[in-house]
Amino acid sequence: MRILIIEDDVEAAEAMVRGLTEAGYDCTHAADGEAGLAAAQKRGFDVLIVDRMMPKMNGVQVVETIRREGDATPVLFLSALGEVGDRVDGLKAGADDYLVKPYAFPELIARVEALSRRRETGAVATTLKVGDLEMNLIARTVHRGETEIDLQPREFQLLEFMMRHAGQSVTRTMLLEKVWEYHFDPQTNVIDVHISRLRSKIDKGFDRQMLQTVRGAGYRLDP
Amino acid sequence: MRLPRIFRTTTFRMTLLFLAVFAMAAAAFLFYAWFATAGEVTRRADAEITREMNSLEAVYRRGGAVALNQALIERAGGERPFLYLLLDKDGKRMTGTIAESPIEATEDGENWATFSVTDVDMDGGETKRPARGLQERLAGGETLFVGADIGESRGFVSGIVNALWGAGALVILLGLAGGAIVSRNVSRHMAGLTDTVAAVRGGDLKARARVRGVHDEYDELAEGLNEMLDRLERSMGGLRHAGDAIAHDLRSPLTRLRARMEAALIEVEAGKGDPKQALVQALDDADGVLNTFNAVLAIARLQAAGEAPDQSLFDPGQLAADMAELYEPLCEDKGLDFKAELVPGLQVKAARPILAQALANIIDNAIKYTPAGGAVMLRVRRRSSGEIEFSITDTGPGVPEEHRARVVQRFVRLENSRSEPGSGLGLSLVAAVAEAHGGRLELDEGPGEYNGSGPGLRVALVLPRVDGA
Repeated sequence: MRILIIEDDVEAAEAMVRGLTEAGYDCTHAADGEAGLAAAQKRGFDVLIVDRMMPKMNGVQVVETIRREGDATPVLFLSALGEVGDRVDGLKAGADDYLVKPYAFPELIARVEALSRRRETGAVATTLKVGDLEMNLIARTVHRGETEIDLQPREFQLLEFMMRHAGQSVTRTMLLEKVWEYHFDPQTNVIDVHISRLRSKIDKGFDRQMLQTVRGAGYRLDP
Repeated sequence: MRLPRIFRTTTFRMTLLFLAVFAMAAAAFLFYAWFATAGEVTRRADAEITREMNSLEAVYRRGGAVALNQALIERAGGERPFLYLLLDKDGKRMTGTIAESPIEATEDGENWATFSVTDVDMDGGETKRPARGLQERLAGGETLFVGADIGESRGFVSGIVNALWGAGALVILLGLAGGAIVSRNVSRHMAGLTDTVAAVRGGDLKARARVRGVHDEYDELAEGLNEMLDRLERSMGGLRHAGDAIAHDLRSPLTRLRARMEAALIEVEAGKGDPKQALVQALDDADGVLNTFNAVLAIARLQAAGEAPDQSLFDPGQLAADMAELYEPLCEDKGLDFKAELVPGLQVKAARPILAQALANIIDNAIKYTPAGGAVMLRVRRRSSGEIEFSITDTGPGVPEEHRARVVQRFVRLENSRSEPGSGLGLSLVAAVAEAHGGRLELDEGPGEYNGSGPGLRVALVLPRVDGA
């Protein structure tokens, strides 16, 4: 997996390169918007990490330019501006996800991972299958092996998200953002409770536990 | 040379402009009046002269020059004093009231003239008066002149004209005086506003314009100015406050973090401590600082903005239902009875994500402080005033009345809550959110004793009514 990091803060970029390399990614760093755009235009990257505020050319312009040129490479936007309006601007420019600085490293890894796999999933799948867990998106039913699992609508959405990102760590913030569409950090462990309910429905009575807790990061659905 | 202030005001200049326009209109009117009346006087005189001439010609046709001569002598003593002159065919004066014709003899029939007659009164003084006259050659070669004195009518017309000129002058004088008074009046009112602006520019943000309470346009302007200054003062106060708060509130956790890392370093150097544990702890501390920082920033931004951005209309019951769905499992897990009572179909105008965060903060608090076996209730309803109320009631220890105003302030945490994690900014953020929507936060006592705890706390976020809903 090749990642292009466009970030003017050299120290932050170095930390990012170190961490992502450790996680098995092949990283390239560009220190300003123009250099970043030039590198991105050569294509061949699986994910772009773009800082919003940079000298010469800002992140929004970079993303708008490559999108105009028909490049659909997933983009993760980084910004110190966390307001709702800023988030919307970033996503409107064509970014796929938005992460507010400062971030926890597992959060960055989880989001990059989610973006890098996005292309592999079929666009119009009607069923999702992870191990012996099967989800029918039309009939909105879930089976594990022969057993039908009865889920509440939100539990269904939560499981769908976990299945679409099977084998990847997803963080609590990601779940709150993508499943509940809230953009704040709750002080309490509200997401954990929902996960444990879901876990009791899909794992209880089975030998193999599919829904794993990843220490310091979040959760992962294993086949 | 500078004119006195009053003559430099816009109002005075406007008055002058109006006067100029008025004067021009008056001049046009005078000219028209003169033209119309003077013309009319001449026309009437001409008509009378023509009639007299016709009547005299009839006499001439019947009785010749002799009869005409006789008639002229008779008529000259009549009521209406026409001026007559009859000349024979050689141009010699036969009879008449004037010595010679003001009109030179011409070949063809009729000739009109405007001329003046001179009266000599008893004292020998002379007055010239305008007159009209008509001269015709008669069939026998004689020349007949008939004239009329129009001085009296003309005098009447010029009297009117003079009166109008006088009136015009008076109007201009009155106009100037009125303009000066109005300008002074306006200047006096404007001076209050100008003084206020000058004071604010000079740094006194507390200066306000005087509102006289008569609800005229000056009051409106003064009120608008005051409102603007209130807002400006609030947002500047908010910014200053935010700066102070950030400095104050981040210093202590940062100091703590630094001390802890220093201690850990000493321990690790001495070979006693576990560096990994120290790092984990430092990371936790840093996260805490960031949380505080984010909360302070969010509050400051809301206060500085004055109004929440990107507001939209939506069903508050729907939002509350989403929150209930998010938090219900957590309550159950903690052994709390969770209930939601949501009136459907209401409308509220708010920034949904921000409002969601505020509600989450209140519910977080309720769950945090209510012991197992207690209850948490979320309600959405419309008050009779039309305001929309979100309320969260718990059965925890509650907040004593004397502390209620204080817990909304930033970073205030009551003694018995210090053991719980949190920045102490939760309710302050909620209060800021309420204010940014033109609403308010209300704290009340809960339902009283419940399963061994109480009296509980009722937190209500009240948002203004939506017009037309």
